[in-house]
Amino acid sequence: MITKLTQNIPRKESWDKVTGKAVYTDDLPITNHYCARILPSPHASARIKSINIQKAAEIPGVKAVITGQEYSVLCGPTLLDRPPLAKDCVRYAGEPVAIVVALDEATALQAVRLIEVDYEVMPALLSPLDSIKKDAPLLHPQISSYTHVVEDIYPIEKSNISAQYHIRKGNIEEGFANSDIIVEETFHLPPSDHLAMEVRTARAEISADGKVLITTASQSPFTVAKDIAKAFQISPGDIEVHVPFVGGAFGGKANVSLEFLAYMASKKVNGHPVRVIIPREEDMTSAPSKLGMDATIKIGAAKDGKIQGAKFEFHVDCGAYSDIAPYMTKAITADCTGPYNIENLVCDSYCVYTNHTYATSYRGFGHLSYTYCVERTLDQLAKKCNLDPLKFRLLNAIKPGDLAPNQVISTYSNTGNTALCLEKLKGIIHWNGPQITNIDENIVRATGISCLWKAATPPSNAVSGALITFNSDGSLNLNTGVVEMGNGGQTNLAQILAEKLKMDINKIHVTLNVNTRLNPEHYKTVASISAYMAGNAVVRAADDIISQLKSIGSQVYSCKPEEIEVSDSKVYCIKAPTNYTEFKDIIAGYKTEGGASIGEPVLAKGGYMLKGITVLDPKTGKGRSGPSWTVGAQAVEIEFDKRDCTYRIINATTVMDVGQVLNPNSMREMIMGGMAMGLSMASRENYSYNKQGRLKTPNLRTYKLLHIGQEPKYKVEFVETPQTDSPFGTRGISEHGIIGMPAALANALSLASEVNIRELPITPEYLWKQRKEKYDS
Amino acid sequence: MIADNFIYCKPDTLREASAAYRTLLREDKTPFYYGGGSEIITMARAGSRIPDAVIDIKGIPECNTLEINDGDVVIGAAVTLNQIQESKLFPLLGITGSRIADHTNQCRITLGGNICGTIIYKETLLPLLLTDSTILTMGPRGRGRKLPVNKLFDRQIKLLKGEFIYQIRTDVSLTKADFTHVKKTANEKIDYPLLTVCTLETEGKLRLAFSGMYSHPFRSTNIEDAINHTDLTIEEKLDMALSLLPDFPLTDSEGSGEYRKFVFRNTLKEIIERHEND
Repeated sequence: MITKLTQNIPRKESWDKVTGKAVYTDDLPITNHYCARILPSPHASARIKSINIQKAAEIPGVKAVITGQEYSVLCGPTLLDRPPLAKDCVRYAGEPVAIVVALDEATALQAVRLIEVDYEVMPALLSPLDSIKKDAPLLHPQISSYTHVVEDIYPIEKSNISAQYHIRKGNIEEGFANSDIIVEETFHLPPSDHLAMEVRTARAEISADGKVLITTASQSPFTVAKDIAKAFQISPGDIEVHVPFVGGAFGGKANVSLEFLAYMASKKVNGHPVRVIIPREEDMTSAPSKLGMDATIKIGAAKDGKIQGAKFEFHVDCGAYSDIAPYMTKAITADCTGPYNIENLVCDSYCVYTNHTYATSYRGFGHLSYTYCVERTLDQLAKKCNLDPLKFRLLNAIKPGDLAPNQVISTYSNTGNTALCLEKLKGIIHWNGPQITNIDENIVRATGISCLWKAATPPSNAVSGALITFNSDGSLNLNTGVVEMGNGGQTNLAQILAEKLKMDINKIHVTLNVNTRLNPEHYKTVASISAYMAGNAVVRAADDIISQLKSIGSQVYSCKPEEIEVSDSKVYCIKAPTNYTEFKDIIAGYKTEGGASIGEPVLAKGGYMLKGITVLDPKTGKGRSGPSWTVGAQAVEIEFDKRDCTYRIINATTVMDVGQVLNPNSMREMIMGGMAMGLSMASRENYSYNKQGRLKTPNLRTYKLLHIGQEPKYKVEFVETPQTDSPFGTRGISEHGIIGMPAALANALSLASEVNIRELPITPEYLWKQRKEKYDS
Repeated sequence: MIADNFIYCKPDTLREASAAYRTLLREDKTPFYYGGGSEIITMARAGSRIPDAVIDIKGIPECNTLEINDGDVVIGAAVTLNQIQESKLFPLLGITGSRIADHTNQCRITLGGNICGTIIYKETLLPLLLTDSTILTMGPRGRGRKLPVNKLFDRQIKLLKGEFIYQIRTDVSLTKADFTHVKKTANEKIDYPLLTVCTLETEGKLRLAFSGMYSHPFRSTNIEDAINHTDLTIEEKLDMALSLLPDFPLTDSEGSGEYRKFVFRNTLKEIIERHEND
């Protein structure tokens, strides 16, 4: 049986997951492990005057107490600005200040509470707009002396700005001069959290000869090894990183943080195995979150609805440390328009420190934030132009030959087909212009739409690899460095391999855990590019298998290699297909009836390195920041109650240009998951801080997510415009379902409530307040 | 999970429970009586109140009563919200409990725990306040008390140190009266209330009790008088009820005080309209 790309394949790990047998990092036995807990800072901004660990250290069972004073290490993926443990000062409430290593958790926790820290509390900066004020205190006075990990990061001296990116395209003055209607809006989006079901955790041990073993819930096992090596001057090869199943990540586990603490803890107790655990509450406050944003969007259009020019200003709230936020700021800048052709464009984006929990990558990598601001403004503009917002978007949709904000020339291959997504969406939702339908005297229905696009912005040296070996039954072992975190990545790769070798996917085994000692390096399981990068590596490894089998087959059948066919786990000469050899009889070399041996065992490999990625010009933003875009169009239908401003989300629809459908149910689930997350974020989720900068809702009793029973009906349909350099033309889709959801929800609710929504989350209270102000004034 | 170590006692009788309390006090512990434990877990995780000893009252027969006895519905303090709902003995209390937390927690949260915990909403108190229920307690020296709920509760439950509630008795006839229960939340089905209102109709008049407006639930006979006034229009009743609120409402992560006033007025309007149309 030959498996097809468009076949629905259950994930390789399904049975283990649905029976609860799947093992995650903290499920591993804790025998012989010490337990480490952190002391989080209660203050958002304070100077550490002194730390007294004496009482904590005296508790029986406490093995070590570590404070930031012991190390002068700084870490971070773009700018080295973050000490693994706070040193001299704390910059957010929840920042780890000390770790206690003890025999068990109860003892560690008891000791943590006995650590005495003398803080001098300082005023906290809780908004990027406050942080950029002239007289604002500096979170990082030494910003100019920090080491740059990536070349394209441009901190501003003596400021709270860790990075800035700009777009200058066309002539903006001309663009606005040619505009009959100009809309300018400001937006405020708060930070929120990833809330993966599995709380972050990491373990470390150091062998007698200095070899380090890290076991962690991470999207970036290979980066963990490199970063620990760099921070503590160890040879990277002496570090082995294991990643079992990861219970959801959404970008939040791409960051390396607990791994440093686990290493420091184990080091302090002479290499003894240590597990660092944090409860959900600390996962929310101490570990990184999703970025916040303040934006000003100005877009001008001619009377006919054609956009003439746009000017954007984004202030990204990256919290206390930069982490990957500079690159999210870059991604926001490079893609700032959404999938539209805007010839005259100015964009100024700043990554700004505040005393919030620091931000890291989050599903959509910043795209959902700018998309919200731009798509809300587009709806306003369409309204003022008296145009149907869907037609308005169609009119301005990017098409081949147009220039993206980073001046890459758009093609169907690199961008997909936005117009087709909109047309298909129009049919599915029976769109007939923006309409309010009265359900009864109090309740109205309305639909809002949004487009989306996203390109990955990986570094130019990102690599991936695949190794393939065979078993005696002729089945294959596919070995890659892709982390399985609920994304179905391994199954997708197996399906690509099955298609390439024209075989049954059930005869392909995958490695569901990553071990950096055994698996070939895969950059990070992020950015929805695993199917592209690891997929290309798998295709090359498959070519390697075919070529080896053709060589052996040509000797077996005494024909030319090009006359050998490999299909359905069989090798044969095309002239005599019925006279075949099964994989099991040829993959370890072929033995003739006479006993002669032919060929060698088949061992295959494929490697892939991203090509053609360049830095953006610091002034104009010109450059190729990613391999390709994925585009889509989304709609959300709501029912709004005019009496109390409550609403229900009824339908949510996505049409996405996936390039080539691969495992359709799996693609749908992935996109629906993104949609659910986007609706949850837009309707409820909020990291709200009090005046002292402490998170008001640091637990799941008070921080609300969309629950079962509140979900709308989801619909996902596909458009297929192949990406020519990708395996079978397929595109990255893992994050994208989230991107347009907040905007589509807000557009629907703005229509129904007559409120110009410019914030998130959209709560009934927010709508009530806006309506009250509107009607009272 | 509570990571800290603590002492766990599970007495079989009311007297053993109070004896255990005395013993633990002598050992310099700060014991908590507990039924379901959901709140203790939350507080311990947050590090705000970490128990060093707990006394589990679920093994005490009186705390598990759920029956009609001598004209009263009798409910033990360790009976869960879900058991009350399923018993159908006290429909208003049943429905009130069925809107507190999720089903998993309703199978854990006990009536005694919801009333005595640090949670500010104590929604199960509303039906008890409306029915003038009687609370039975056991003191630290093995002495019991029997008090009307409106006496024992005024902004907070006024238990003596070491005293615990073991039973609640409610006149059967009042548990059969017509009632309404309305819960309004910020955005969720399952959440703390912006406002929960329970009403009970006796002799054609409404009794009303509220949770969510302040850091404690309340029943106001003044508001009841306004609502039951026969010569006022609905709008006048609403304005009067608002003016009779004892304080400016609570502002917290569920909503602002101003918004709570809006929800209060809206919800009350719904209730009065429904009552007057019946």
